[in-house]
Amino acid sequence: MGDLSWNEFLSQAKQFYEISQELGDAWILQEKDSNPPNTFLKISQKIKNQKDLVNVEYHVVYSVSYQVPMLFLQAHRSDGSLLDLDAVWQLFMPETNSEDLYQILTQMDHPVLFRPFMALHPCRTAEVLKQFGEPSKNQVLTFISLYGPKVQLHLQNAYGLATKYT
Amino acid sequence: MSLQEETILQFAPWESFVSPTFWHKLAEVKLDHDRLSDTKRSISGHYTNRNASGCLLEVDYTAYNRSAQPPKFSHAAVGTIYNKNTIEEFKALDKVALLADEGKELVADMRSGRVLGDPSLLARFFVLSFADLKCHSYYYWFAFPCPLTPTLKLQGGVQKLRDVPNSQKYTQALKALPAESQAFFILYVNEKENVCEARQLNSLDEKDVEHYYFGFADPSEYDHPAWLMRNYAAWLLNHCPTFVGKKLRFLGLRFNQKMQVDDSRIWEVIQTEGCDLADTMELKFVGWEANKNGKMGPRMVCMRDSMDPAKLAENSVNLNLKLMKWRLVPDLNLEIISQTKCLLFGAGTLGCAVARNLLSWGFKHITLMDNGKVGFSNPVRQNLYTHADAVAGNRMKATTAAERLREINPSAETVGHVLEIPMPGHTIGDSLRAQTEEHLNLIEKAVRDHDVVFLLTDSRESRWLPTLLGAAFKKVVINAALGFDSYLVMRHGSTRDDSGDGGQEIEGLKCIRGSQLGCYFCNDVTAPGNSLKDRTLDQQCTVTRPGVSNIAASYAVELLVALLQHPLRDQAPAYYAQSGKPEEADGKVPEGLLGILPHSVRGMLCNYENILPATQKFAQCIACSKPVLDAFRSDGHSFLFKTFETAKYLEDLTGISEFTRLNSEIIDFDDDEFDMSEEDED
Repeated sequence: MGDLSWNEFLSQAKQFYEISQELGDAWILQEKDSNPPNTFLKISQKIKNQKDLVNVEYHVVYSVSYQVPMLFLQAHRSDGSLLDLDAVWQLFMPETNSEDLYQILTQMDHPVLFRPFMALHPCRTAEVLKQFGEPSKNQVLTFISLYGPKVQLHLQNAYGLATKYT
Repeated sequence: MSLQEETILQFAPWESFVSPTFWHKLAEVKLDHDRLSDTKRSISGHYTNRNASGCLLEVDYTAYNRSAQPPKFSHAAVGTIYNKNTIEEFKALDKVALLADEGKELVADMRSGRVLGDPSLLARFFVLSFADLKCHSYYYWFAFPCPLTPTLKLQGGVQKLRDVPNSQKYTQALKALPAESQAFFILYVNEKENVCEARQLNSLDEKDVEHYYFGFADPSEYDHPAWLMRNYAAWLLNHCPTFVGKKLRFLGLRFNQKMQVDDSRIWEVIQTEGCDLADTMELKFVGWEANKNGKMGPRMVCMRDSMDPAKLAENSVNLNLKLMKWRLVPDLNLEIISQTKCLLFGAGTLGCAVARNLLSWGFKHITLMDNGKVGFSNPVRQNLYTHADAVAGNRMKATTAAERLREINPSAETVGHVLEIPMPGHTIGDSLRAQTEEHLNLIEKAVRDHDVVFLLTDSRESRWLPTLLGAAFKKVVINAALGFDSYLVMRHGSTRDDSGDGGQEIEGLKCIRGSQLGCYFCNDVTAPGNSLKDRTLDQQCTVTRPGVSNIAASYAVELLVALLQHPLRDQAPAYYAQSGKPEEADGKVPEGLLGILPHSVRGMLCNYENILPATQKFAQCIACSKPVLDAFRSDGHSFLFKTFETAKYLEDLTGISEFTRLNSEIIDFDDDEFDMSEEDED
């Protein structure tokens, strides 16, 4: 438990995508090219940032070096300008323990798109997934439900009830 | 029904929501396709009625695709972009006329029957823009044209679908409607015949109006319907003139996150007066979007941070440094580093390595001085050059290095000067005097204009002039010198007015104030003569173990950074063990932000050891002592030329020749030997 191979990630991401389709959720499984780790899960949502709305795009990507799923995100305002790291911190700070977020939310290069993205650092993911045991056989699902809420990405409870995968 | 409430129905205005990818694509389209043409282009947008926020009309890179494919749970909007070539054209364009032109096209679509075939024509928008591709700035103004038709009067209040009797039936009927038909549709409800079904818009039959709910995907999150219902109603009333004066029911279809439709809204409205859309002369249009300040006007967005590769690199470099600040050294002052201007004498092995380390730390201003060309032996050790530079045969190190630094970090401001550093005892012939004067002026000005001087040349005497100038102009001077397997890295003592901070008295340690610390020449008792004379080839070029230069260059930059982060900067004191045993200083020396700040680091590769001697200023120093600085200040170049003529002049000026007569044993002293600092001390 904890570490995940690319093939495991891929099959679990596909499984997650199937659940989301059944639940009528807006997740997309994006395949960039044919070189692994080429496939990631993607979803966007609007979040109120004081008076303004921002669009946050989340990517669940496989990290080859850490062998775990990673959550990347990019936020932009209505004029198309991106929020920098400070602004993203401000955006999510009220939602989560600030110390915690400073430690984990950072900027890294997206392993599939090769562009700078905001990311939740994967250094403790394997450990955390291990600690959580097996609430679901699908570790991608477990990962999203554990890490998503730190950045306002909440899954419907129904994901947990998708019994055929748990 | 008793008293009926009658209010005018208001609409939630569209809010434009632009993805950064829309600007990326616009830049690409402009550069690769449109170029100088500024004819309008068809684009598409989309809006969602699932878990909607505000009332958003979104555009992204897919806007320019030939056939619009809105994302999941979204519907297509039909638009046009007018991308102007200059900001003047953007500003000067007649906005009223443009809106009217677009409005007339919309009305033509309404009247022609095209809307019935493709109702997405009702979700209409256009963008007026100017892309300043050099600055990555985009000026833009969205409009959502709509003919100004008589008002719709709301009958009763706004109703939620869940509050309608038998709403379950409605819900079932709506769920049966295929996603691609949800943008505009009809919900037919006939209680008597017990029929409740969602139908395509083109099944419209005006006789059945009492059974109709005119359905549309409603992107509004408010009680008001989205702006697009305005065009929907205008089209319906034009298409079926008998609807004028009749009660019409509209259903704004809204999904929540769980895809339930309970929050859909129903408005019952009457338009009492007719309106002739054919009368285009009289028809007025509305629809320009207000900007962020709520005023009618364009918006501007600067996309440099995400579109300019130089800016991306700069931000990423800064991020690495900021992480250091955030995670490990919260008080680290990165501002000081990016503002500090560094002047490097020598663009060889040391110069290249120092320059790269400076870039890593976020230094922006780097000037290099060197007189050499890139030779065949250079590229393997001098990490800013390549074999091709040597093959070219004419590439000067200083300018090539400056260019490479900018290639590595485009936001760096680098300059290379090709010139000879005049040296004591290196006589300058009359023919070269004018050129030397010119070079001297340039060197002097450069030292004045920078904050830090690095001495990275390959000979002792070429360090003399920069040492003197650094002292005369009160600059921070960092010196690195190499032996075969040893190195010396030091900061020269401060020549700024003493701040009076003497440092702490610590038992067992001797403390030297920053202003009392020596320079590279303070430990010497001869003036730098011509050290290249009488030397074999392997002594002339710096023959060193290759790692030595990288180690020394790294220490030199780290020493500078530690100094810049110290509150006293170059006036920070240095400490050494009184007993002469370095281990006795361990843990006792006061630490700054990045640890201790030694005067010098001397290391040996043969035993992988460093020692950190601190030495006093020497009153007869031939480079930084008062008599020398005074002579330079009063006589300037004529003083310098005298020293270039003969080094003896300096020895006499400082009185050092007396010393050499008194004690001939120490004449041979040179860098390659370790001087233990306490030898000079009492």
